[in-house]
Amino acid sequence: MKCSKPWVIAVSAAFAGSLAAGMAHADGEKIAVFTKNQTNPYFQTVRTATDIAAKSMNATTIHYVPTKPDSIPEQMSQIEDAITKKPDAIVFIPVDFKAMVPGVNKMNAANIPVVNVTDRSQGGNLVSFVGTDDYSLGLGVARHMLKKMGGQGNVIIIEGVKGALSSVERVRGFQKALAEFPGVKLLASQPANYQRLQALQVMENLMQSFPKIDGVLAANDPMALGAVEALEGANRKALAVGINGSREAVEAIKTGKLLASGDPNAFVQGCIGTMAAIRHLRKLSVPRELVFPADVVDSTNYKSREIPENQRSCPKWEDVVKS
Amino acid sequence: MSGRLSRRAAASADVVALGYRVLVLVVLVAGLAFANDAFLTQSNLLNVLRQASLVFLIASGLTLVILTAGLDLSVGANVGLSACIAATVMKATGSVALAFLAGFGVGAVIGLGNGLMVTFMRLPPFIATYGTMWMLTGVTYWFMGGQTIHGFSPGFRSLGSGYLFGLPVPIYLMFAFLFAGGAFTRYSVLGQEVYAIGANAEAARLSGVPVRTRLVMVYILSGAMAGIAALVYVARLNSAEADIGEALTLPALAAVLIGGTSLFGGVGSLSGTLVGALILTLVLNGMNLLTINANWQPFITGVIVLLSVWIDMVTRQRAEARA
Repeated sequence: MKCSKPWVIAVSAAFAGSLAAGMAHADGEKIAVFTKNQTNPYFQTVRTATDIAAKSMNATTIHYVPTKPDSIPEQMSQIEDAITKKPDAIVFIPVDFKAMVPGVNKMNAANIPVVNVTDRSQGGNLVSFVGTDDYSLGLGVARHMLKKMGGQGNVIIIEGVKGALSSVERVRGFQKALAEFPGVKLLASQPANYQRLQALQVMENLMQSFPKIDGVLAANDPMALGAVEALEGANRKALAVGINGSREAVEAIKTGKLLASGDPNAFVQGCIGTMAAIRHLRKLSVPRELVFPADVVDSTNYKSREIPENQRSCPKWEDVVKS
Repeated sequence: MSGRLSRRAAASADVVALGYRVLVLVVLVAGLAFANDAFLTQSNLLNVLRQASLVFLIASGLTLVILTAGLDLSVGANVGLSACIAATVMKATGSVALAFLAGFGVGAVIGLGNGLMVTFMRLPPFIATYGTMWMLTGVTYWFMGGQTIHGFSPGFRSLGSGYLFGLPVPIYLMFAFLFAGGAFTRYSVLGQEVYAIGANAEAARLSGVPVRTRLVMVYILSGAMAGIAALVYVARLNSAEADIGEALTLPALAAVLIGGTSLFGGVGSLSGTLVGALILTLVLNGMNLLTINANWQPFITGVIVLLSVWIDMVTRQRAEARA
């Protein structure tokens, strides 16, 4: 990805180092950033945020992204590549929370500090976990929709990939919210593997057997929008919510197609994850866990998400992390 | 394989094989009609046909390739790139005609590349198109940069979600290509040459068939069909994203195999592929209607593929024994 020539880094680091003589740290840390894929805009946002955070603290980033989305063997070999290049710290989103534990162990064995972002790794030695949990995302956005429905009506859940932690947890959040609204009936809960086309077809099929559907809880934005396409195609109306707070979802919220999206706030996660890694290297305090509450984007607050990511700036550490 | 069969024995085996499939289809339809009231309604049957038409468009080109004992593993990735480029052209120019040319053209050029690799570079079709798949995936991710293109004009969208005389437009496309393709394979000299190459390429060459040219032709046709399918997908989903084609190759291949086209070449038909696409679609539709969790859909697909190929082998061996 974008990375200045090594000698430039070395020179600027030495220069900054001499200026900062006597301070507790030297600038110019190299941070390796691992994300899951190049397809999901969520991770593009994380990458942009890590770049902005690193730049603001005079560090640099190197990105590792599997070419085959969410590929376990590819991320594993990228970890090996990264270790040979000896980054100062790693900001790590595992493609799989269980399968990548050996990868975290390898980074630990190489004595490289790891900050875990977004998906919580099931094992390994981690400086900190930075993320929003999927359960509260599901719960938050589902509550939002069920309230709008006045606690009455029929609802469908569209799940992500079965077995993927994010889907299991989001759906658990949906179910918890449904339990709070006994007037709402869950008609069906079907997987569409986080894919827009599958969600469209699943919704088309479900509309055949259910003449009255009032709400759709989808485990990500593309599926929510696929379901909305199916509804529009059949001239039917229902409230729909997704999760990701993606740019497309924000536009759909603006035009009233989508009610809301649970926003894991990828930008803040990227910022705070990178800052945590750099702070750790500079011997500043970093909490073991930084879990943000779920953020729901809807027609009242979508405007703040319309600023292009590369023009945003990271929040201040002190504003996000309350000691 | 079937080169050794007498023409009549082969033809009767074909009829028997297609008969089995139609039987499976009828049993599926009867079972679902019995199990769920919503199944055998006009709206659900149109729904199933529309969903099957997307699979069929891709699978029809693939059928031609497989008839020559070839393989095209790049069809899904081809749909991905063609869709993203066509969507970009559509957004940039607002012209449906140019978008159509772009989608169709990109698909055909990719097919040409495959054809040249298979003939002039003498790469095995599996390897050539497998490599193409990876390259296309990479180019598509680079091209899209994690973004989604969405929101198209109603005129363009009618290609995927419109109706004509009460029937969804993709269904017309499916039958148009079924009849055109059927006439081409059954009655044209070119079509007969496709079968001849698949049955025995060397014998076809000796009897004057320009094997290389015909092979390049079928790969171009397969690519072009993927390009056309891409346009229908974009029009249907009202969006294009880099992973749009990711989950399409294997279902298309399953439709061809369930439809009775042999991977060894020379045996099979487009009508078989249509039946295959319908069976595949009915499995998901049925599970959704019966609200059985559709996670078992891949398993059932696998069982059907194995059973149908096995039944083919047995019926062909019997026909051979009788001949």
